[in-house]
Amino acid sequence: PEETVTSSFASFIHAVRPEHLSKTVCHRSKRMILDSIGVGLVGSTTHVFDIALQYCRELYSSVAVSSVYGKPGVKLSPTLAAFTNGVATHSMDFDDTWHPATHPSGAVLPALLAASQMLPPSAKPNGMDFLLAFNVGLEVQGRLMHFSTEAHNIPKRFHPPSVVGTLGSAAATAKLLSLSTAQCAHALGIAASLAGAPMANAATQAKPLHIGNATRLGFEAALLAARGMEANPLILDDIAGCSGFSAFYSIYQPKPLSTPSDHHEFLLEKQDIAFKRFPAHLGMHWVVDAALSVRNLFINYAGSFSPSLIRTIVLKIPVSKYINRPFPSSEHQARHSFQFNACTALLDGEVGLSSFTESSIHRQELRELLDKVVVEHPEDNVANFDKMYGEVALLLHSGDVLTGKCDTFYGHWRKPLSKESLLKKFRSNASHVLPEEKIETIITMVDNLENLSDSSQL
Amino acid sequence: TITGNFANVIHGLNANHLTDQVIQRSKRMILDTLGVGLLGTSTEVCHKVTQYSKIYSSDISSTIWGHLDFRLPPLYAAFVNGVAVHSMDFDDTWHPATHPSGAVLPAVIALSEAFPQKEKISGLDLLLAFNVGIEVQGRLLRFSSEARNIPKRFHPPTVVGTMGSAAACAKLLGLDQLKCKNALAIAASYAGAPLANAATQTKPLHVGNAAKHGLEAACLASQGLQGSKQILDMESGIGAFYTDYNPQTLPTLQSYPWLLDQQDVAIKRFPAHLGTHWVADAASSVRQKLVESHENLLPLDKIEKVILKVPEVKYVNRPSPTSEHEARHSFQFVACSTLLDGSMSVQSFASENIHRPALQELLRKTQLEHPADNTPSFESLYCEVSVTLRDGNTISNRCEMFYGHWRKPLKKEDLEKKFQSNASSVLPAEATEGILETVYNLEKVEDCSVL
Repeated sequence: PEETVTSSFASFIHAVRPEHLSKTVCHRSKRMILDSIGVGLVGSTTHVFDIALQYCRELYSSVAVSSVYGKPGVKLSPTLAAFTNGVATHSMDFDDTWHPATHPSGAVLPALLAASQMLPPSAKPNGMDFLLAFNVGLEVQGRLMHFSTEAHNIPKRFHPPSVVGTLGSAAATAKLLSLSTAQCAHALGIAASLAGAPMANAATQAKPLHIGNATRLGFEAALLAARGMEANPLILDDIAGCSGFSAFYSIYQPKPLSTPSDHHEFLLEKQDIAFKRFPAHLGMHWVVDAALSVRNLFINYAGSFSPSLIRTIVLKIPVSKYINRPFPSSEHQARHSFQFNACTALLDGEVGLSSFTESSIHRQELRELLDKVVVEHPEDNVANFDKMYGEVALLLHSGDVLTGKCDTFYGHWRKPLSKESLLKKFRSNASHVLPEEKIETIITMVDNLENLSDSSQL
Repeated sequence: TITGNFANVIHGLNANHLTDQVIQRSKRMILDTLGVGLLGTSTEVCHKVTQYSKIYSSDISSTIWGHLDFRLPPLYAAFVNGVAVHSMDFDDTWHPATHPSGAVLPAVIALSEAFPQKEKISGLDLLLAFNVGIEVQGRLLRFSSEARNIPKRFHPPTVVGTMGSAAACAKLLGLDQLKCKNALAIAASYAGAPLANAATQTKPLHVGNAAKHGLEAACLASQGLQGSKQILDMESGIGAFYTDYNPQTLPTLQSYPWLLDQQDVAIKRFPAHLGTHWVADAASSVRQKLVESHENLLPLDKIEKVILKVPEVKYVNRPSPTSEHEARHSFQFVACSTLLDGSMSVQSFASENIHRPALQELLRKTQLEHPADNTPSFESLYCEVSVTLRDGNTISNRCEMFYGHWRKPLKKEDLEKKFQSNASSVLPAEATEGILETVYNLEKVEDCSVL
């Protein structure tokens, strides 16, 4: 019978082996795992995390085998641990971003961690199995996004992690649990019925739930499939008159995955990930780097940073409603505001965790700068993480104009974080909740993931 | 904002706003849903989700309908019961199209069981919350002209059902306006499942998840989680699920006009997609005529072909279904099955009946036609069944309104009969009677956990 797109995916998930992972892919995915853990650890200090944890603890108790980031001794049932950790990972918008746009790791890693704790000692996956499952989760997300040209630009309708992330989690968990090909297909099908959250909740406290649910519900889908639940075997295919996964896109052109023969090229090989340097939407990173460079020019010009000399601040950014906020009032909004991030960078010379505290957000000096901001949308500035740029221009009262422009910020896939920078971010994040030796242990473990015999130690 | 307006209405509606007709209709819905759910707990899909849900247990817990032997956390009880309700596609259908009760009742019942003794919920509270959940669904469906027709993209219970469940639970929990708003916002992020899983074993999960996730959204809102304040206003909010979206504010609370007052639900007489009910009634009449003119026997071998004139609905067009899920979503199957047996019942979908040679043979002779005037809307569609015999004679019948449709509602006795038949598959007679009693007098019940 002619192979359907859905069955090609199921076959891929089922048949891919560790040998298919290239060195680059191993290396890049380990970096992602480390960053994701760090971000999750620091995220366990947030308010939204507290709410999610409280909720899970109140309603559930036993078969509590899976751990929660930053809370030693607390255990939850596997899917809820995945949920809570997923929420932690995205709580500050500090997690990785890919192209086409989504946050791939947060949707996959928590489910895998929880699942590996769930399996009995005789069936524990080793580090290589874990790394493979992780990459299956990424690969499926990437491939799905290539089904629609819509996915190339910054999203408008559905938040991508809630669409592809859910299926990625289902695929990864299905792999870790060694489901049959048919079960893999059903896991994808069930997951599709759990996917899809609208963009409107971005920049609100509910956004982290998107990742939490993606990882948890994908996990549930795999568990249900393992217990024999069946869904539509053509869920990824284009079925006229009755939408499957295509429901989430207006243009949808699915393509089958080749079965992994000797050389399966993982998307991660060709397209690396962006790691964030500070906890805000990816788009912010361009304007911040641009703002920092113009700040330097300004300091050379004026001797010090003197806001009173500035008449207007012009931001040249792409059009994207949910990150264009002139006066954000909450941390969630601030993380999704070009204006806020540019001004903070100008004022402080850097943007970090503390830039988003209540007191920082409402500072008088910052408000004054925000008042001077004007936004422009040049036609050539496309709302696309591969092509956009950020430009910050300071129009001074004296008539002089200073400009800074950033095409590729440090951390972007074209200019990846160095190993030291990545470790620095991890250590800084993890130190909020873990003692030093634990931090170093994790770093070593992830670095040697392929050789780990029992991945639940992670 | 519209979102704020919804929150105000959810918060502000109270028992005095319920009209008699709304009370009566909603009690019928509750009864039917309970019956359907009880029956549904015996299905395979329900067994699977029950097994799955047993992974979770806790101190606070609720029951699975008809099974008092173990308890589950409210969320999973809602999930399992929701799956049970939709497991056989036997639950109620509204216009614009959705299955309203299954997304709401399991959630509010599970939630009501979880309240501590001293804060018991009365029957009237339950009835009010239930109606809030139904009302919100109906209002949301009116925000898009797409919703008027049988769906193609997203399965409606997963879009509006989740929101309805959240609204109903928010009401039952007595959340303030702000938290009601947040419950809606959070629920939106759980909404939306594609239609492709209809006619598969996963479809019942759509209703189960709608109930469960709406409940979860309300609980999270209750704990202080916040979402978008304009979730119903923005195109990138609940509007994301529709290609055209025009939200409107709700009427004022003064003598509130409930949608259930203006538009009743359809109750199914057999467990299959609503569209097939027209076909069954038409086929039944045709069979009657055939049998009368052939000495009370069905002249099977004399049948040349069977033509069904139906609206174009791809996911109910299945010439040869192989599973019960497919059979429930097949115009052809229901037509032929009715021709053979005279009527449809729960049994019609048993495996041995699906695979009967006589049925298979008749299916091979069946074709569909899609007349241009037959619009895919539950309000206006019709079905015509024509059987042509070898001798050239054709017998046809057209059904515009099947018995059970909102324009021709089931009589009280027939509703009860359906309930009894369903419930008795898992409950003893006194329990069945007890539920009937309780639901009929729901407004007067002091502690609805007796349900």
